[in-house]
Amino acid sequence: MTMTSTRLRYALVLGGIPSILGLSLALVLQSNIFPNLLLKGQIIIDLGTLMLLSSLMLSGIAWAGSFLSWYCLRRGAQALAEESKRHTDKHHRFIRRLEHEMKTPLAVLQVSLASLDQQYCPGDQERQAVRSAIARLHRLIQDLRKLADLETYSLEQKPVDLAELLQETISAVQDAPGRSGRSISLITSRIPWPLASVKGDRDLLMLAFYNLLDNACKFTHPGDAIEVRIREDGTAVTVDVADNGPGIAEEDLPYLFEELYRGKNARNIEGNGLGLAVVKKIVECHDGRITVRSRPGQGTVFTVQLPQL
Amino acid sequence: MTSIYKVLIVDDEKSFLDVLAPFLKRAGFLVETALDGNTALARIKQFEPDVIVLDVLIPEPDGREVCRRLRALGNWTPIIMLSQIGDPQERAMSLGEGADDYLNKPFDPGELVARIRALLRRARQFQPSFASAHRLAFGPLVIDRLSRRAWLDKRELALSAKAFSVLEYLMCHPDQVITREQLLDAIWGWDYPATTRTVDVRIAELRKQLKDDSKAPRFIETIIGVGYRFVGSVEVCA
Repeated sequence: MTMTSTRLRYALVLGGIPSILGLSLALVLQSNIFPNLLLKGQIIIDLGTLMLLSSLMLSGIAWAGSFLSWYCLRRGAQALAEESKRHTDKHHRFIRRLEHEMKTPLAVLQVSLASLDQQYCPGDQERQAVRSAIARLHRLIQDLRKLADLETYSLEQKPVDLAELLQETISAVQDAPGRSGRSISLITSRIPWPLASVKGDRDLLMLAFYNLLDNACKFTHPGDAIEVRIREDGTAVTVDVADNGPGIAEEDLPYLFEELYRGKNARNIEGNGLGLAVVKKIVECHDGRITVRSRPGQGTVFTVQLPQL
Repeated sequence: MTSIYKVLIVDDEKSFLDVLAPFLKRAGFLVETALDGNTALARIKQFEPDVIVLDVLIPEPDGREVCRRLRALGNWTPIIMLSQIGDPQERAMSLGEGADDYLNKPFDPGELVARIRALLRRARQFQPSFASAHRLAFGPLVIDRLSRRAWLDKRELALSAKAFSVLEYLMCHPDQVITREQLLDAIWGWDYPATTRTVDVRIAELRKQLKDDSKAPRFIETIIGVGYRFVGSVEVCA
């Protein structure tokens, strides 16, 4: 919409300037402002008329050209948007089908395992391994479903106090199994005025920050520090989630938010490569943006910017 | 004497039926299966199940159509629909066809057994199935579960989708203590990493809209350390 109106403005300027200049020149020539030019009065008047007609003709051509170029650009932008939507829809359908195709065999596995537990004493090592594998697949399906659901999710648009939400998210992460022992601090800028709220879906935002914090915990060890910093700049509220984990290799950074992508450092860490894709999708649903900076051996900072209310 | 209850499972995946049927048999039910909608309708006539476990995506007629046809014939056998949990649209659609409960695949089979038993208990007590009612009311409060709208004293309430779902769940289970975990599981659906505070936020939103005082509740009572209870006697509206 903004692109289209910008192009329309250009077209109006391009078409309008020759027209205005031509008309002004013709009017000046026909007026008595410059009396010395009236020595050849009749010729000058004819020249003025000629200038007026020429300027009208030129401005007409300029207008037609500008309109044509604006129209072509608009059609191009529309085609691009349609292509992008087709691609997104196709991708969405693929995720849905993948999730559907995976869930039935997984349901069979889950019921079979429960049947074994029903008939024999549960707890042997092999069945425990199957149980862990099922749990991992279950998690993958749930994350795929989240991604698919986010395409059609009706976003709630309510004021959200990010400082309060992040405090709650930190508690939730610290309570999760295997995540205790990290020192997670929340640094909120409150002076000279309190932090502005953002407009959005509280539950989805919590899910996004939970995933970021959970990631930070996964890549650090008990005793390591994680910082969550919130600030605002008058237009956006910015949240940094910073850890002093192993960092991310530079070649992995461009692909980090792609679905199912796992960086070199993540090979031996639990996860399925969907968490950050979900975060990016949620942030984009809120007209925000997410970036990442990392230094191998030093740590990583994820930065989320959300428009403030 | 303990009765043996009959369960019909309808799913187009034979491998799934092959493992679920023996599991339910071992849990004490008499089980029949069907792979498509037409076979399911025929089996229901002959087998007269006490509960039907019905997948939505089965060959024609699909699960919803089977459910709709049964209800149109006045057959009110409790139905557990295997469909997407947590999705309000899907939930409303299942509800529109008259399903009593829903469960998403893959599920813990122990959870399915618990839900079958809960439906049987309700049927034994001849309690009305709030789960398939379109409109529920308590005094001045009315909710329409299909259009997802609520009114207090005939004035429409501006509720978020989540807050409506919490109210709906509480009204479908009147006078029962519902834990925050139960609400999270039933309403937030996918493994939402919420703390119980998430539920409290929605309850606060509801109380504000319902003008309900937590110290002298007309609608939602807090059970300290446990969860919430809808205090009124809910009725099914025409």
